[in-house]
Amino acid sequence: MAYPIPIDKPLGEYKSVYLARASDESIRRRRIGSGGAVTALLLYMIENNVVDAVVTARRTKGVTGEIVVARSREELLEAAGTKWSVLPFTLKLKEALSDESIKKVAMVGLPCQAQFLWQMKLFPVLETDFSGKIHFIVSLFCIGTFATEAFLSSLHRLYGINPDQVSGIHIVGDTLVIKYDNNEKKIILSEAIPYMQLGCLVCPDYTGIFSDLSAGISEQFPGFTVLISRSNKSEKYLKDAAEKGYIELLKAPVHIAEEIEIKARAKMIRAQKYMTLVL
Amino acid sequence: MEHKPSILVYDLGGCEGCPLSILRVYPELKEIADLYTHHLGEIDLDKEYDVAVITGPICINEPEDIDILKKIRSRVRTLIAYGSCASVGGITLFCRGGQEPRPEHRTFQPISAIVNVDYAIPGCPPAPNLFIALVNSLRGGRGYFLQLFASVARAKRLSGFDLLDNIVLTGLCISCGACIISCPTNALQMIDRKPDLIVEKCIRCGTCCVRCPRFTQVLIQKYVLKKEVI
Repeated sequence: MAYPIPIDKPLGEYKSVYLARASDESIRRRRIGSGGAVTALLLYMIENNVVDAVVTARRTKGVTGEIVVARSREELLEAAGTKWSVLPFTLKLKEALSDESIKKVAMVGLPCQAQFLWQMKLFPVLETDFSGKIHFIVSLFCIGTFATEAFLSSLHRLYGINPDQVSGIHIVGDTLVIKYDNNEKKIILSEAIPYMQLGCLVCPDYTGIFSDLSAGISEQFPGFTVLISRSNKSEKYLKDAAEKGYIELLKAPVHIAEEIEIKARAKMIRAQKYMTLVL
Repeated sequence: MEHKPSILVYDLGGCEGCPLSILRVYPELKEIADLYTHHLGEIDLDKEYDVAVITGPICINEPEDIDILKKIRSRVRTLIAYGSCASVGGITLFCRGGQEPRPEHRTFQPISAIVNVDYAIPGCPPAPNLFIALVNSLRGGRGYFLQLFASVARAKRLSGFDLLDNIVLTGLCISCGACIISCPTNALQMIDRKPDLIVEKCIRCGTCCVRCPRFTQVLIQKYVLKKEVI
């Protein structure tokens, strides 16, 4: 693990890059744009007793969400979908993990959350830490999260979209597609960047270098999830999940890694620019 | 460091939580390092050690302790401040003189006020396993762990107050909640999706700062990388 992330290795250290998707149609249908491989992999982990629970986020309404601790197939499928805000992993997590029946968990989060969990494992500062229970960390690719209120109020001010109407937001290429009341509004991504949290603008990590597995999408392969596997553990589970028929797993062509590297490097440059304003 | 390192643990005083936390992993520790501490018998300060680990703060009204600290610094290659008091001041920063049981002790400082410290590790006290992680990192020689704690040694002071000033009030906070989970005294609470400090509860241990994904990034950028650029 190196920090800062070297400019010639914007994805950090990794073992291999895969393209994957869920074998199960019903998981794929729940997804927008990606292959549902993370959901299927987590499902494999729960059903094969690799972990007792999965901690992840679920969208409640609009762009807000909540933390869920999923212990069964149904609970996990409920939580599938791209998340648009960083959710405080606080009291709920502490509460869930102090539950004696949970011995091992898999965590799904954004690169910052993965970093904090990894740090917790790397240096257990507190004895009350539950770092021993964290078995597997999945980080999702992240360009940054919006300062929710500022972003929603700008949508209202500029385009007259009421925050309660927003049902989904996702990225297609360089545009942000906002779905509301059966309508769609397309915004160029660079216009929305100022409404991101400053903490995200200074963040250099696109893929989540502090994780076992990073997951995201590639525009060249819609319908597939790009997986960057970083540890022996994740290699093992991916292969096993593929053998047991949970996911379809392919080695990714080189240009996929290049595409992700370009995005990761762009985030590093942005981070450097904003960091000089802060320091 | 390929051989088994010899480690001197020297306690400057305080609540003894840090030496105790180290002793608790002694069975595992003796496999990977040779440990020398008061708690295991006599120690010889004239001997040379690979690493010295100092626990407890330095009282700058105590010339004897200052001399010992300087002597240890001159004898070892790597000096580590272990625990909040030694690394960032901790609760002893609240001492203001004239207080029982030792009214002549007026000002306590992190040991980096007196000598150069290579790595400073906060925690009140750091969990026993942290010491194992530390020894393994030292033997590895580099990596994120050492980089972060080298920057803490240069920052000298970290607390909930610094977290608020440097991260929350500058707008760098991303509301991940790492600080709130980390606080040993529950001095931080989430208000409107941002952490807020209950000042009376903060013991200035610095745990929240080394857990925050943004603060660690700022620390490394500010203290470790800048030096390399110059």
